[in-house]
Amino acid sequence: MVDFLSHYIGWLGMPPVSVLTTVFGAFAVTFAVIVCWSRLVKDFGPIGGMMAAGFIIGTFWVLNHKLPGFGIHPEGLPHPDGGIKQFGLIYQGFRGAAPWVDMGTAIGFGLWVCGLAEAPREERMRLAAESLPRIGAAIAGGVLGGVLAGLVGWTGANLFGY
Amino acid sequence: MRYLSTVIGGAICGALCFGIWPEMWKSYGIMGGWLTAAIVISISWYMNHWIGVMRNPQGKLWVDQGWAVAAAGMAWSVVRFHTQIRQALPVVCCCLLGGGLAGVAAARVKKHLQPAPGTKAEERADG
Repeated sequence: MVDFLSHYIGWLGMPPVSVLTTVFGAFAVTFAVIVCWSRLVKDFGPIGGMMAAGFIIGTFWVLNHKLPGFGIHPEGLPHPDGGIKQFGLIYQGFRGAAPWVDMGTAIGFGLWVCGLAEAPREERMRLAAESLPRIGAAIAGGVLGGVLAGLVGWTGANLFGY
Repeated sequence: MRYLSTVIGGAICGALCFGIWPEMWKSYGIMGGWLTAAIVISISWYMNHWIGVMRNPQGKLWVDQGWAVAAAGMAWSVVRFHTQIRQALPVVCCCLLGGGLAGVAAARVKKHLQPAPGTKAEERADG
């Protein structure tokens, strides 16, 4: 059982145990955000939202995204025992060689699903159709910002030997 | 043009997250990552959701800046580290599964939440 769960599966890009940890990590942060964030804003106004950013996102970032050693490294950091070890609940696929998957994926989708679940059944299709262009715009904005932030790696600058 | 502000807000939020977060984590470790959430997410939440740069009309489904952060993380690592999008798909599916389950669960749970006695939330009729 332990062998099967911890054995790396090539086509999946992760061991089965990482499926469990990823689903749980995504569930935990999304549930906390949906339940607590709006309530903090209600109780404390904009300060509550800024507190929520630190206390919810910051704390769940440690749970979901921390990596061994220092540095977010797409190849992952080699462990002294051999292989690549990750300690965050949300696994970065193919031993960290896959593009970064952020818990924002889960939070955005979770809030959307929560809105759908709360809406009356007959209005769901209309609401979903209305929100799709806005989600597309948010994703387009994210791609734009991410590409531009990533382009700094192309300058070839070698400051301080880094 | 109606979606331009959403695009701009998403771009700023995504660039902030992935321009700052890795460097803070490299410099200050766990505390740097926590601190980055406090400074980056707080100000981008304030801009995108409190002031309302990302369009979220009343009574419609919530579009969170998490979508922008997710897209920015992928685009950032594809551009900077030449990774392949399809390799991220299994993890994305797991994240969507976890997030969707949490959304359904939270929608159920929110109906039965009781505010703690004596808190400000109790005074409001909508809780």
